[in-house]
Amino acid sequence: MEDIAQTMRQDLQGAGKFLAFWLGKEEFAVPVGRIREIIPWQEITPVPQAAAYVLGVINLRGKVVPVMDLRLRLGMAGQDRGLRACIVVMQPDAKKTQSPIGVVVDGVSEVLQIQPGEVEETASLSSGWMHLGYVNQIAKSKGKVKLLLEMDSVLAGPMEVPADAEEPELAGAAKG
Amino acid sequence: MQREAQLLRLLQAVIGSVFTPALARGGGGSHHEELMARLHETAACAQELALAGTEEAARHLVALLEHRELEPGGRGGELRPEIEQRAEQLQALAEQELEARLAASAPPAPAGPGMPWGDFVFEAREHLSNIEQELLRLENSPDDPEAVHALFRSFHTIKGLAAIAGTETAREVAHQTENLLDEVRSGTRAVSSSLIDLALASADFLGEVVAAADLLDRGETVEIPEDAGELLDHLYCAMQNQNGEATSALSPLQPRAPKAAAGPTAARAAAGKGQSAVKVDTSKLDQLVDLVGELVIAQSLVQLDPALAALKDPKTAKNLNQLGRITSELQKTAMSLRVVPVGQTFRRMARVFRDLVRESNKQAVLETAGEDAELDRTIVEQLADPLMHMVRNAVDHGLEPPEDRVKAGKPMDGKIRLSATHQSGHVVIEVSDDGRGLDQDRILRKAVQRGLVKEGAQLSPAEILDLIFEPGFSTSEQVTAISGRGVGMDVVKREIERLRGRVEVRSETGKGTTFLLRVPLTLAIIDALVVKHADNRFILPLFTVREILKPRGQTIHSVEGKQEVALLRDRIVPILRIDKLLASGPNGAVSEGRPSEDLVLVVVESGPRRVALALDEVLGKQEVVIKSLGDWLGRIHGVAGGAILGDGSVGIILDLDSLMGREGYGLAA
Repeated sequence: MEDIAQTMRQDLQGAGKFLAFWLGKEEFAVPVGRIREIIPWQEITPVPQAAAYVLGVINLRGKVVPVMDLRLRLGMAGQDRGLRACIVVMQPDAKKTQSPIGVVVDGVSEVLQIQPGEVEETASLSSGWMHLGYVNQIAKSKGKVKLLLEMDSVLAGPMEVPADAEEPELAGAAKG
Repeated sequence: MQREAQLLRLLQAVIGSVFTPALARGGGGSHHEELMARLHETAACAQELALAGTEEAARHLVALLEHRELEPGGRGGELRPEIEQRAEQLQALAEQELEARLAASAPPAPAGPGMPWGDFVFEAREHLSNIEQELLRLENSPDDPEAVHALFRSFHTIKGLAAIAGTETAREVAHQTENLLDEVRSGTRAVSSSLIDLALASADFLGEVVAAADLLDRGETVEIPEDAGELLDHLYCAMQNQNGEATSALSPLQPRAPKAAAGPTAARAAAGKGQSAVKVDTSKLDQLVDLVGELVIAQSLVQLDPALAALKDPKTAKNLNQLGRITSELQKTAMSLRVVPVGQTFRRMARVFRDLVRESNKQAVLETAGEDAELDRTIVEQLADPLMHMVRNAVDHGLEPPEDRVKAGKPMDGKIRLSATHQSGHVVIEVSDDGRGLDQDRILRKAVQRGLVKEGAQLSPAEILDLIFEPGFSTSEQVTAISGRGVGMDVVKREIERLRGRVEVRSETGKGTTFLLRVPLTLAIIDALVVKHADNRFILPLFTVREILKPRGQTIHSVEGKQEVALLRDRIVPILRIDKLLASGPNGAVSEGRPSEDLVLVVVESGPRRVALALDEVLGKQEVVIKSLGDWLGRIHGVAGGAILGDGSVGIILDLDSLMGREGYGLAA
């Protein structure tokens, strides 16, 4: 069963299928191959001392899954969650060996086909509110613009310095 | 490729059960049925692969067995040699046909990524662990035909697996070793220690191949070793040497137990007991345990549902109770799947022990007991290193040289004992030797030298012995190749404590030393105290909790206006407010302003340190299953993991070690 699902996902990915969702007024798209499931908003247990964009952890059928706020991760201002907000459970690596990560978005809109011809590189976009490296491409589909999220950067390990890493620096400073 | 591997596996199982004593006695109904089922599968598998000869041979064997079953007690015994012979023919034929089939299809693609290495790794690993065990057995009793047969079959199967996987050197090594063993089997070659060394060296090489294949299977880029070095020369040379001795003009091979020996597999567990066993991927096992946990939560939600209770229907109530019973039974069974007998680690020790004794000038025998004691597989795996270290110590420092033993009136052969026993929720593992015992004066002198104790300090014998667990302490005055590697007993102690266990040492001068390792049965479940602060629930391991109290007027004091401390029976304990821990995160619901006097103090202990956690409320005691928060979050300071609570939400398990270590509360005395 799982193998079939996996193959299907890969096929879909190959065919250029994307899941579209929005954050504020921006529309984003990610390859469906990286999506495990979409679950409704639920209570999230905060994790002390985690990075600011880490909302906490949820119970996904017996597995503890971390959840991040995509707005904060990308550098957008946070805001109260609307009724359409949901958690998109994504796979950090294409091989499915790592455990999944929940990503909170303001709402999902559709699954759409994006042809290679509809994609443009965009170097200048990141100068605005968004941190560098999260969107390098933009797609024009049916007269609308979708920002293609760089999944590897978004789902990479927390970029902020973890609390533990401060210690050696302090020790170094004390010596100097 | 999978079908081929399956066929080989089936044949192996068939051969295995044909040669077991249960069948020889002409009975064992379930045994017979299982063999029949495997033969039917073999025939079906052969049919799918279009191996006509194999299929026919398998069906023939089925007929033969059916025939025998019809005549219990009669010709049953007489037919046994024929059955054995047919079974071996079946295996040989199947291999021939498989090889021909492989040759006819594309040449085996060697070691490319995407190859199905998983099967190879899984199967070969099991046989390798078997090989080691049987070789050691053979060394002790060279006339044991069972051991030779088992070894022959294991190398034979690995040869087949290697051929399918397309790794030529491994196939050749297995093939040559198999040939040597075949000569032993037919009586034209004697078992010698050099033969055993050679076979062990082959097993080690194959182990390296398996380890590399395992990494490949996990998607890492490594190369399958194709250079067996001098090993093949030794094997060829031994084959040509018809005297039956496996010695050669080449430099002697020294087989060494690889440090990261092919990891123990959970499936080996039951196989050793001669029961039927199924191999299961450990990740599936974990998933099963996760899902059962969820089922228990869902079941309790249904059972406690007020709407259902309002029905007051006896039938519903009865059914719900039944559901509850089944669920908890299922949970117990699921949890038991994670345990494996400690014996597999003991067997690895037997190998290490053998190498050690050969390297040192000692003479010793290893005794093991309690191999059946079962523990969580993670614990069993993590016990290997500390145990190895202690067995090393026992051989190297514990036992005297043979001449000293004779002078002391002891038997020349030293004895090292490895045993495991169950004791109320724990397993106690004992490593003992009958050597010279620990020299208390020397330990004390050394401890003074190292500044661990003050000159002239009065210590009880037990306290002196405990000094060997202090960091930086090493009793051996000269560093030896075997155990003087700068790793001391402090590391052993730390490792065992990481498993939430304890180490103890007892020693009597001239009589020997005994180490007792006390470890919990499982790491997955802990007794926990669930506490609440603001809207967050936290989990504290119960064994760290010393007391829970509501502070009174004179309990809480302030040091320099910032650090609060509690005065508990003349002992000063620093107070750590849980909201302070939360405050550094973005989601901290800080209940600012609530004075510590209004909160509950939970005094927790980690090592020598104590801290009083100030929080809103203690919710209760409960068993929880520890879960990782995932790699993505990385190691978070103060957090040991998560656990799913009764209502299905996640509670955060606090890591007191890191909390106390980092906050730097030097006040605790």
